[in-house]
Amino acid sequence: MNRGEKTRLRHGLLFISPWLVGFGALTAYPLLASLWFSLCDYSVLSDPVYIGAENYRELVQDEVFWLALRNTFFFAAVSIPLSTVLAIGLAVLLNQPVRGRGIYRTIFFLPSLVPAISLAILWQWLLNGSVGLVNEVIQWPLRAINAVAGTALKPPDWLNDPSWAIWGLVLTGLWGVGNAMIIYLAGLQEIPAELYEAAEMDGAGPWQRFCHVTLPLLTPVIFFNVIMGLIGSLQTFAVPYILTNGADGPGRSLLFLATYIYQSAFDYWNMGYAAALALVLFLLILGLTLVVVRFGEKRVHYAGR
Amino acid sequence: MAEITVENLRKVYPGSKGQPGKVAVEGASFTIRDKEFMVLVGPSGCGKTTTLRMIAGLEDITSGTIRIDGRVVNDIPPKDRDLAMVFQNYALYPHMSVYRNMAYALELRRVPKRVIRDRVGKAAKLLGLLEPDDLLERKPKALSGGQRQRVALGRAIVREPKAFLFDEPLSNLDAKMRVETRAELSRLHRTLEATMVYVTHDQIEAMTLADRIVVMNEGRIQQIAPPLEVYHRPANLFVASFIGSPRINTVSGRIERDGDGMAFVEKSERSEHRLRLVFTGDEARMLASRDGQEVVLGLRPEHLSDARDLSAPDPRATFEARIDVVEPVGPETWIYARTAGHQLIARVPHAEPRADIGHTLRFTAELSRARFFDPATGLAIC
Amino acid sequence: MPDADPIARRGNRWPAVLLLIGFSIVFILPFAWMISTSLKPLNETMVLPPKWLPSEPQWQNYPDAMRAMGPFWLHARNSLMLALLNVVGTVVSSALVAYGFSRIEWRGRDSVFLLLLATMMIPFPVIMIPVYTLFRELGWIGTFKPLWVPAFLAGAFNVFLLRQFFLGIPRDLTEAARMDGCGEFRIFWQIILPLAKPALLTVALFQFMATWNDFLGPLIFLVRQEQFTLALGLQNFQSAFGGTAWHWLMAGSTLVILPVVVLFFLAQRAFIRGISTTGLK
Repeated sequence: MNRGEKTRLRHGLLFISPWLVGFGALTAYPLLASLWFSLCDYSVLSDPVYIGAENYRELVQDEVFWLALRNTFFFAAVSIPLSTVLAIGLAVLLNQPVRGRGIYRTIFFLPSLVPAISLAILWQWLLNGSVGLVNEVIQWPLRAINAVAGTALKPPDWLNDPSWAIWGLVLTGLWGVGNAMIIYLAGLQEIPAELYEAAEMDGAGPWQRFCHVTLPLLTPVIFFNVIMGLIGSLQTFAVPYILTNGADGPGRSLLFLATYIYQSAFDYWNMGYAAALALVLFLLILGLTLVVVRFGEKRVHYAGR
Repeated sequence: MAEITVENLRKVYPGSKGQPGKVAVEGASFTIRDKEFMVLVGPSGCGKTTTLRMIAGLEDITSGTIRIDGRVVNDIPPKDRDLAMVFQNYALYPHMSVYRNMAYALELRRVPKRVIRDRVGKAAKLLGLLEPDDLLERKPKALSGGQRQRVALGRAIVREPKAFLFDEPLSNLDAKMRVETRAELSRLHRTLEATMVYVTHDQIEAMTLADRIVVMNEGRIQQIAPPLEVYHRPANLFVASFIGSPRINTVSGRIERDGDGMAFVEKSERSEHRLRLVFTGDEARMLASRDGQEVVLGLRPEHLSDARDLSAPDPRATFEARIDVVEPVGPETWIYARTAGHQLIARVPHAEPRADIGHTLRFTAELSRARFFDPATGLAIC
Repeated sequence: MPDADPIARRGNRWPAVLLLIGFSIVFILPFAWMISTSLKPLNETMVLPPKWLPSEPQWQNYPDAMRAMGPFWLHARNSLMLALLNVVGTVVSSALVAYGFSRIEWRGRDSVFLLLLATMMIPFPVIMIPVYTLFRELGWIGTFKPLWVPAFLAGAFNVFLLRQFFLGIPRDLTEAARMDGCGEFRIFWQIILPLAKPALLTVALFQFMATWNDFLGPLIFLVRQEQFTLALGLQNFQSAFGGTAWHWLMAGSTLVILPVVVLFFLAQRAFIRGISTTGLK
């Protein structure tokens, strides 16, 4: 290294030093410590005691863990596709030449700003089984169906019904789709107008233009949003926690991995077990992200830019 | 003011894993004399900008030495070299007024406010930044390209540096502004009596501005000489073809004895319209040592004439060629014609379009202007 | 807003307008319901079928809810103080780090930056336990420190955002400054920061929201009620009044949302621009 390089290395490290400290103390150390704690019996009050793979053995036999894992997967598998479709749909609508697009954009975007605490309390109220707004709205179409088909469908008691609670959470999440929608909208506006015009000259109708121009060129943005959605939904905690008044729902139907980590650590003070759960969550996110990246690599079109 | 010496300068950009680095400059040595206007010229990627940036201190030197007034500056940061630079995109600070853009370097050097005001005022006046409109309080965004260019110049001038460095400063201006600013730079050089180092890929800029030109290609210096010498006595084939527009004609062929003279005979499979020029006197003596050898002939387009325009065309310098394309460009006409194996361009005075495409025309070469190059090395044969 | 789809401009717009209006109603209804409930007397919240509007707006619900939530203004002050500390810390530290990752070329920089990007994948629940025990060792549990000190250590996402912006500032400018006599820190302070104001504003807004909205952090690090943030205070109130005092809960929720919405309308452009760039770079 010559003198210039040395100076630059020194300056560079000096500038990034805040992050280096943060990385060491708040990322690298916690990951390693998690690994260590997960091999220990550790209750915070006393020092960790090494117990080998005991926590992991317990974990494999722990039905609650498997339930949390199943709920976490299910939520991600349902909410990511639904919110992707809704976000793209709204973005495409907003990209139409109608008046007041700025107003519609604000309306769709605002809910995504709502803090988790307000969001959860508000939806707890909206999803109320007897006097909630959601049921008030859906009882109209249900009545019509019942009248025509002779069925006796009733609106669900969302948060008190083990099989419906998670769908209530999905609805709550869909209301906050505005953030992703803005990113899709920006992506749509990056697509060169000539491409649409070329497709039109080639004889493509609106639907074909959407399938053959819009979607392929939007794939990098979809890719980004899906990864962000994955990382976000796998760590979901605050909203279900508050929706259930600090618990995990009927039949633990709103128990997620992050919830279970929190419970193990701060309700049962079983830090070792919680650390093992945290590592599982980490590996899960890492693994699934890699799968998505692998899958996406071949299907993402980085064109036009 | 200052003399800048560059010795054996070398710059290698490190390659990424497993790949060799890229050599940007190799063994460059030259001296820029005090008050000299030196232009570094060459095609893009030839290393001229890298050389300038190494002089400025913006780029590390892999090996070699740079001296300013005898002092080695290799490890001295840019700010302590006392050089001012004008950038291709002007690099004006968008958030500062024109005045502050010019004053900033002086403020950093703790020059007294009064002196700053004085110097900025002078430079602004010299560059016409006060008349017709006072631009000093404007932000760069509110200026035209030409005005920005002048502010960038002003920023350098107020520094009263040891030398000015220019990195393609005219390339972002439109054609008209470029010509005007070129003349202004020339005037400025005379007024300031400063050492200037100027990088460009534009040969007209090089020819018109320079006291001396450094021609570079692929990291190496090809020739260092005053403009007209570079034009008329290019050191090698690269310089010959890089300088001059339209490009110099080059014809490969061989030398053979022809009576008391020496003949250049074009190399070609076909014999029709084979170019043959016979040299006598000094040129013949020089070519005698090359008898039987292959050479490349270089002949500038303005040194070819339509034989009909001459009262007594020299038969030894006259040949026939078939016309491909005729381009009347205004004051003159460019005729593209084909000999047995080469295409030649002739610049002839504009007249009635008497040259018909496909027809054969007789051309006469100005033999004393012909240059010869070694086909293997490309070097000029003296 | 930039131009829309060029071809659709010629076509029939009514289907799009109808869909937009329909979705708008769906997206607004929860807000409307929240405000409507917050102004109802308690007995009107539970009637069947639900009443769309209160018979008489009960403005008194708001001061009542604030009283019922405990030390409301103290919580608000805590939230605001933490948000501001986090904004200052993140903007300063992330800008410094982003500068080191964009405007200085040092050996190994790009590999280290990849490491930084990778850390964005690690969510808080994964590292929460050792971080908790670390802060416990330091005696920080039950203080505000765990909730603002980390902000001064630069967040990966904000560094990423600022770096992208810094990379867009022409290199010539930095070099001109270097020729003019600036050292590295002065270039950062006098050239890059003034030019990066829009990006800094975006980062500040994002961080304000993140801190204001944070729930898990205060939940595990704060102990005494007078230290609670608004979010935690409201949740505390919710567990206490579990599903009865809906008019107060809605008033409380509205009060927590309000600052965020005001901030959005003050800086709408910075918000939208900030979010738009995240997905495209």
